[in-house]
Amino acid sequence: MDSRLTVAKRELAGLRAEKTILLAIGIQLFIAAFSSFLVVGLVSMYDPGALDGAEVEVAGAGDAVADLERAADEVTGASVTRYESASDARAAFDRNAADAVVVATRDDRGGITASVTAPDATVETTVIVVQLRDLLRTYERTERESRSSWLSEQPLPLPDRTGTSPYFTFTYTILIPVLVFLPVFISGSLVVDSITEEIDEGTLELLRVAPVTIGEILDGKALAAVAIAPGQALLWLLLLEANGTSVANVGTILALMTALTTLVVAVAAGIAAVAPDRRAAQFLYSIAVLVLFGGATAMAGGPTNAVARLAIDSADLATTITVAVYALLAAVAYLGVRRFVTENGISG
Amino acid sequence: MRTRLKRVLRVARWEASRASGGVDRRTVLAAVALLAIAGTVVGAGVAAGVVGLDVDRDVYRVGVDADSSYADAVEGEPALTLVPAERATLGTNADLVVHDRGAMEGVVVRATDTSKGEAAAAEFREAVEAHNERLMYAELNRTAAFPLTVTLQYASPSGPSGDDPTVGDDPTVGDDPTGDRGTGEGDVDGVDEPTSDGSMDEPTSGDGVDDRDEGAGDDEDASLGGDVDDTSADADGEESGLASDGGADGEDEDDGGFAVPSIGGEAFGAGTVGSPGSITPPFPFASLVLAFVFLVPMNFLVQAYGSSVLSERTKRRGEPLLVTPLSPVDIVAGKTLPYVAVAVAVTALIAVVVGGGPVSVLAILPVAAAFLAATFVGAVFARSFKELTFVTVAVSVLLTSYAFVPAIFTNVTPVALISPLTLVVFDLQGEAVSLGEFLFSTGPTAIAAVLLFGLGLGVYREEDLFTQKPVSRKFLDALAVRLYAVGEGVRRPPGLAARLPDRIRGLAAVAFLTACTIPFVFVAELLAVAVLFALPVTVSIPVLLVTIAFIEEVAKSLHLYAGFEREVFARTDRVALAVGLASGIGFFLAEKATAVVQAVGLTELYVGRAAFGSVAGVAGLSPLVLAALFFAPLVVHGVTTALTAVGASRNRTYYAVALALATLLHAAYNFGVLGIHG
Repeated sequence: MDSRLTVAKRELAGLRAEKTILLAIGIQLFIAAFSSFLVVGLVSMYDPGALDGAEVEVAGAGDAVADLERAADEVTGASVTRYESASDARAAFDRNAADAVVVATRDDRGGITASVTAPDATVETTVIVVQLRDLLRTYERTERESRSSWLSEQPLPLPDRTGTSPYFTFTYTILIPVLVFLPVFISGSLVVDSITEEIDEGTLELLRVAPVTIGEILDGKALAAVAIAPGQALLWLLLLEANGTSVANVGTILALMTALTTLVVAVAAGIAAVAPDRRAAQFLYSIAVLVLFGGATAMAGGPTNAVARLAIDSADLATTITVAVYALLAAVAYLGVRRFVTENGISG
Repeated sequence: MRTRLKRVLRVARWEASRASGGVDRRTVLAAVALLAIAGTVVGAGVAAGVVGLDVDRDVYRVGVDADSSYADAVEGEPALTLVPAERATLGTNADLVVHDRGAMEGVVVRATDTSKGEAAAAEFREAVEAHNERLMYAELNRTAAFPLTVTLQYASPSGPSGDDPTVGDDPTVGDDPTGDRGTGEGDVDGVDEPTSDGSMDEPTSGDGVDDRDEGAGDDEDASLGGDVDDTSADADGEESGLASDGGADGEDEDDGGFAVPSIGGEAFGAGTVGSPGSITPPFPFASLVLAFVFLVPMNFLVQAYGSSVLSERTKRRGEPLLVTPLSPVDIVAGKTLPYVAVAVAVTALIAVVVGGGPVSVLAILPVAAAFLAATFVGAVFARSFKELTFVTVAVSVLLTSYAFVPAIFTNVTPVALISPLTLVVFDLQGEAVSLGEFLFSTGPTAIAAVLLFGLGLGVYREEDLFTQKPVSRKFLDALAVRLYAVGEGVRRPPGLAARLPDRIRGLAAVAFLTACTIPFVFVAELLAVAVLFALPVTVSIPVLLVTIAFIEEVAKSLHLYAGFEREVFARTDRVALAVGLASGIGFFLAEKATAVVQAVGLTELYVGRAAFGSVAGVAGLSPLVLAALFFAPLVVHGVTTALTAVGASRNRTYYAVALALATLLHAAYNFGVLGIHG
C-alpha cells in the first residue's frame, strides 16, 4: 500500500508543480459561465416575456379583429392595433409601424381564418413569431370555449399561470451534470498522459527496477487521478450552494461521480497500456469516452439524468440502483484492467 | 520568394509523411470498432424504445388522482412523474398536488413553496396544454376543436418581393422536398376546404400539419444519420483524424436527433397553414447542429498538431532543423501547412455532405487557424504532455464556445455575427451573406490567429524551445522579443546606431504591441461579463468595473515589465515614463479604431440599432464636453500606464503595487464615466 501512495503522491506533486490543475478549474468556470450565458439567450427566444422590452405590435384587420384584441389583453408583450382594411394593416407593416399583420376573418362555416404576416428573416423574427403564437393560442382557446358544446371531450381547464425562473430546470438538468462530469474526463485524460509519458521517456523501465509491481504503479496513478475528481465536483456544488442553488444528496452525487471516474480511469489505463504511443492513446480515449458517455446518456436513466434527479431531490429507488450499478461496473472494470496489465505488462 | 515557398513546402512534406505514421492502422480499426459497437447499441436501443435524450426525465413529482384526466397529462410529459394522490405528501414525495374539481370548477394545484414547486407548476401547465392539443386532434368536429386556421407567411416590410440585400431567395421551399409537400397539403386541406360539420373522412388542417411535421422530422433525422455515416466512411480511407470526427458527429447526431423539435427551415416556407399550436418559430436548430459538425474535427486536429510540435521539442528533433538555413517562420509555416490543408479538406467534405457552400469553408478557415495558433502557442510554452493536454482542452473549449454560443443567436441579435459560425448557419439556411458581414465576422478571429502565431514564433528559438522554463517566463520572453531597445546601456540590435530613429522605433514597437492586445482584451472582458452577470447588479457592476480596469492595465503594462526584466529597456524613470505613455497612446488609438469599426460595422448591417442608441445619449452635450469625453480615456490610459511602467522598471513587487494602484485609478475613472452617462 505504501508504494502505491508514493506513486500517487508523486503524480499529484507533478500536477501541482505545473499548475495545470488551475487551468482545468478555469475551464470549468468558463463552461459554467458560458452555459448560463447560453440559457439566457435561449430563454429570450422562447419566452420573450422573460426579458424586458419584447413588446410585439400587431396590426389587426378583418371582421373578427375585436376578438383578437380581447385575446391580446390576456397576453403580456403583445398589443393589437385595429386597422380598417387588410391593405391598411399591411401598409402599417411596410412603414415599420407594426411588427406583424394578422387579418382575422370569419368564414361562412363558422371557423376563423387568420392570415398572418411576419417579417422575413430579420433578427427579431423568432421573438415575434413566438409572441404571435402565444397570442393566437389564447385566441384559439377563447374561440374553442364558445364552441365547447360541439366537442365530444372538453379540454382540461388549465391551472393558473405561475411565475417561475426559466433557469431552474436548466440549472439542475444541464449545468450541474456538466460540472459534475467534467472532472471525470480530465482525470481519464490525465492517466493516459501519465502512462504514455512514462513509456515515451523510458522512465517506466526505471520504475520496474524499484521494488514495486506494475499493478502497484497502476494503482498509484489511478488513485491520484480518482482522488482529484470529487474535490473539484464538490467545489462546484458548494459554489452553487453559495449562489443560492441548493443541491440535495451531495454525498450520493459524489459517490456516483467517483464511480464514473474510476470507470473512465480504468478505460484510460487499459487504452494507454495497449496503444502504441500517446497520440494514438489520446485519440482512442477520446472516442471511447464519447461512445461510453454518449451511449450511457442516451439510455433511459443514464448518469446525467441520475445526477439531475439526485440534485433536484427527486431521487427514488431507481437512482439508488443506478449508483450501485455504476459502482459495481467501475470496480469490475478497474480490477479487470489491473489484472490485464499485471499479466501482460504495459506494451509501450 | 519562390525558394522560400519551396522550403516551406519541403518542411510541409516532411511533416505530412511523419504525421501519417503517428496513428497506425490498428488504432484506426480499434476506433472504428468502438464506433460500430456504439452504433449497434444505440440502434438496438432505438429499436427497443429505451433510448431518449430527455435529461429532465422524472425530475418533478406530481401527486394526482389516478382516475383524473390530469393523470394522462402527467403521463404524457417525461419531466413529470406521477405519484398516486392517496400516497402523495407535499414536500416529502411530491412537489405538486393536483386537485381536480371537475370541468366546471376547474383545477387547483398546490405546490411546495420553493423554486422547485414553481417550476413544477409551470411544467404541469405546459403538460396540460400539450394534453389538450392531443385531445383536440382526436375530435371529430374540426371546426370546434380548431376554430382558428392560421396561414403564416413571411415578408419583408418593404414589400413582398423582398429587395433586402442581406436576405437571399426564400431558403427552404425550393430545395426541401418534405417542406414543399407539407405546405402543399396544408394549402389544400386547411384553406380551400375548411370543414364545418366534422365529416369523418375529410382530411383536415390539423392532421395535415401534424403529418407534415412528423414527416419532415423523420426524414431529416434519417438523412442526418446517412450523411454522417458517409463522412466517417469516406474519411477512414484517407486520414485517421477524419474518421474520428465523422464518428463523433454520428454520436452527437444520434443523440440530438431525437430531441429535434422542429426543423428550422420549414417554418420559413411561405404559406404554412395550421392551428396556432403548430406554428414553429424559425429557430435554425438543424443548421446549428450541422454547423457544430464543422467544429468537431478541429478538436482532433489540434491534438495531433500539438503532439507534433511538442514531440519536436521533447525529443529535440527540432534542434538540427534550426541549424539549417530554414528560418523559424519557414519551419512553423511548413509544419502547420499540412494541418491547415487537412482542415480545409475536412471542412470542404463536410460542406459537401451537409449542403454548405464556399462561404462555409471560407468562414471555418479562420476558426481552424485560431485553433491551430492557440495550440501552437500552448505547445511551445508547455513543458510536458500533461500540460499540453490541459492546454489543448482549454483551447478546444474556449474556441468552441466562442464560435458556437454566439451562433445560437443567429436569428435573434446582430451580436451573433462575432462568431464565424454564424455565417455557416446563414449559409446552410440558404441566406446570402454580404461582404461586410463576412469581414466583420471572420476578421477578428483571423487577426487573433495571426497574433498568436507571432507570439509563439517569438520563442521558436533554441534557448526557449529546448529548456524547461515555466510558462510565465517563456511568455515574458515571447513578449520581449517583439520590443526594441529604449534608453542607454542596454542591448540593442547591431546596425541601428542612430539614436533618434532608434528611440522612435522602440516606442512605436511598444505602442504597436499594446494595440495587438486589443482582441484578447475584448475577449477577456466578454468573459468577465459572462462570468459576473449571474451576480446581483449591486455586486456585479463594481466588480466588473474593477475587473475590466485590471484586464486593461495588465494588457498595457505586461510587455513593459517583460522589456525591463529582459533588459530591453533601461531601468530609468525617463524611459519608464516614455514607454508607459507610448503604451497608453497605443491602447487608446486601438480602442478608438475598434470602436469605430464596430459602430460602422453594426450600423451598416442593422440600420438604426445599437450604434444609434449610444450616439443619441450624448447628443445634447456641448462640443467642448464631447471633446473632453473623447480624450479623457487617453489621459487615463497615459497616466495609469506611466505609473505601472515606473513600477515595472523597479522590480516585481513594485510592479504589482503599481498595477493595483493603476487599476483602482482606472476603475474610479470608469465609475465617474458611468455616473455621467447613467
